[in-house]
Amino acid sequence: MLDNLDEFFKGFGYTLFLFLVCAVASMALGILLVAMRVGPIAVLRSLATVYVSVVRNTPLVLIFIFFHFAAPIIGINFKWVQVHVGSFDFTSAFATAFVALSLYTACFVCEGLRSGVNAVPMGQAEAARAIGLPFGGVMTQVVLPQAIRASVPPVASALIAMLKNTSVAAIFFLAEATAAMRGLTNDYSSQRIGIFLCFAIGYIVLVEIVSMISLSLERRWRVA
Amino acid sequence: MTATPEAAVAPGSARPGEPLVELHGVQKWYGDLHVLQDIELTVGRGEVVVVIGPSGSGKSTLCRTINRLETVDQGDIKVDGKPLPQEGKALAAHRADVGMVFQSFNLFAHKTILENVTLGPIKVRRTPKAQAEARAQELLDRVGVGQQAAKYPAQLSGGQQQRVAIARALAMEPKVMLFDEPTSALDPEMIKEVLDVMVDLAERGMTMIVVTHEMGFARTAANRVVFMADGRIVEESDPETFFTQPESDRARDFLGKILKH
Amino acid sequence: MRLRSALAATTAGIAIAAGLAACGDAGSDDEGRDVDAKSDCDGKFAEGSRMAELADAGTINVGHKTDQPGVGFQGATDDVPKGFDIEIAKLLIADLCIDPASDKVNWEETISDNREPYLESGKVDVVLASYSITDDRQKVVGQAGPYMVTGQQLLVKSDSKIAGVDDVKGKEVCSVTGSTSLETIKAKGAKGVGADSYSECAEKVLDGTYEAMTTDGTILAGLAAQNEGELKVVGDQFSTENIGVGYGKDHPEMCEWIDGVLEDAFADGSWAEAFKLTLGPSGVQTPEPPTLQPCK
Repeated sequence: MLDNLDEFFKGFGYTLFLFLVCAVASMALGILLVAMRVGPIAVLRSLATVYVSVVRNTPLVLIFIFFHFAAPIIGINFKWVQVHVGSFDFTSAFATAFVALSLYTACFVCEGLRSGVNAVPMGQAEAARAIGLPFGGVMTQVVLPQAIRASVPPVASALIAMLKNTSVAAIFFLAEATAAMRGLTNDYSSQRIGIFLCFAIGYIVLVEIVSMISLSLERRWRVA
Repeated sequence: MTATPEAAVAPGSARPGEPLVELHGVQKWYGDLHVLQDIELTVGRGEVVVVIGPSGSGKSTLCRTINRLETVDQGDIKVDGKPLPQEGKALAAHRADVGMVFQSFNLFAHKTILENVTLGPIKVRRTPKAQAEARAQELLDRVGVGQQAAKYPAQLSGGQQQRVAIARALAMEPKVMLFDEPTSALDPEMIKEVLDVMVDLAERGMTMIVVTHEMGFARTAANRVVFMADGRIVEESDPETFFTQPESDRARDFLGKILKH
Repeated sequence: MRLRSALAATTAGIAIAAGLAACGDAGSDDEGRDVDAKSDCDGKFAEGSRMAELADAGTINVGHKTDQPGVGFQGATDDVPKGFDIEIAKLLIADLCIDPASDKVNWEETISDNREPYLESGKVDVVLASYSITDDRQKVVGQAGPYMVTGQQLLVKSDSKIAGVDDVKGKEVCSVTGSTSLETIKAKGAKGVGADSYSECAEKVLDGTYEAMTTDGTILAGLAAQNEGELKVVGDQFSTENIGVGYGKDHPEMCEWIDGVLEDAFADGSWAEAFKLTLGPSGVQTPEPPTLQPCK
């Protein structure tokens, strides 16, 4: 295991990169979705509701398979993605994993935020409307800032689940941590348990970091 | 103190009788419940109207229809001669001109006291931040919570919070102020500090529609008392007449219960 | 093309029946050799040996692959797998006086990751799953043979300019996650990408995402035959894989037995016949039988 630390770190490098870009994208999309869901426009509201129920109720692996093997048939592919940073290659596999994971996780972020929106008393939005803020202002200035605080725990859970879900990309052409682990267990069958432990600890450390960030946000915002 | 717009429409300078808020033939149902029935009400510029009545009489609903936090099923509502817009930017602009103070204060929990007061001027009126903050500080000083500007709402007492809510509404330079039971959620010892601010506001000539149970305020500050029961305006008159010689049985009954306390 | 349409149908999650029909079609071209069970098992194996236990029980669990046409393949509607691995397995099963075609044989899919765990836990008795003999694997399981020597090659589109392993340096080359082939191609300077199965790699080569895929030449030949005119095997073998039979490390006596069965098959021509029947259609010439490694 010690001889293969570079494989270990490279695998987790991909995992971490994937997590970070997906976290940003799924937060952005999740916020958009929740704004649609609680907004006043009926068409957008039903659009977001349908999106969330369809994508959230689909297994993640199916979404990966769709983007890898079905979407190319109708002309959607990510072959054009060619970003190379140092020894890391962000190509089709990374882009597809990014799209699949972000679209999937956005649903859970949206629902987490929605629980937060519901936790904001009606009077807050009424007071915001009463001073003349339009819907966008009511949301961005008053409801969402409070909703996001209230939804730190559920959104953090969604992101932690997403961090572990990056491992699904292992069987879809991406050499992230789980793929690196499987490469090593194949080469060193006799040390399988040690290898498993190392990678499990790697994931635990990453998840712990995310939960600690979440906890500190919760604590900081509780004072206010 | 610098001259403020509400000072500019002080009782003496107001054009008496000119209607500012007009409700005509207003009807509203909650399912089968007819919560507002044939409401006819005109409030003149600079006038202070107190709406009283037993709970469930529709007085809060009436108040909330004037800035369209409640929609109506029939009838016209005009503010400053213009009918209420249905929705969108025009409605937001209308609401900016109608100040509202809620029973439960509804201060923005994630913003400081100062930010609560400057949010509307900055985001809606596009006032430069420094100017908005100076004006906000002035208003907070006037309602007596200037020292608390940097705190968050949860750190203030109920009475202080409600005074901040009044300052927040005033910061928008509203044409009319709506008060929806502003003291009902307050501990008794805090009621006076809020009423003092409201009396001061009335004396400066602000047009006010106040839903309240505070008969003292009605006596001292109101130009007119509107008594509601079962979704109707049963009686309206000047405070002295209303409290001493109520016309309707409903009003006499109501006053009898209230004044015994 | 058959492979592609089958995948498309199943992955889109529609036309499941059509997908199953297509899968079944892909695997049912040949039915394999008929191998009769022997009947001389009384006293043939030493008392207490694993072979005697298996022969007495009359049942056996065999680990195999399902996604390697010609080697170890099982379509969605196939009851039993087929391929060269399976033909060798049948010779071993028959030698234990068990009918290879009967339901006394439990065919168990072993993917690359679980071959050792299944042998260690006793879930399978033998593994014939394009199982390369390596020193590291022999620390945890027994490996006898080899019964086939193959090497890694490249599978590319028919119109590709790639002619050998030197042409894929720095390029993304597909193989199965956690396989030896993937590690080898990385060592050759290519960027390995790991899929769940070889058919997924082939799909990605067909749709142009990756220019090449790699694994043992015998498997690639099978995939090329399945997608005739669209895919081709190129270049010299750039690794040597000794494909052997895996068995539990607790039963070292199985090595001599497996080697014995293989020796007989090499000598009586049944090995060559099995090779020709399973890998011949993919265009692979039947080679000389390999040299067995001594049992440890």
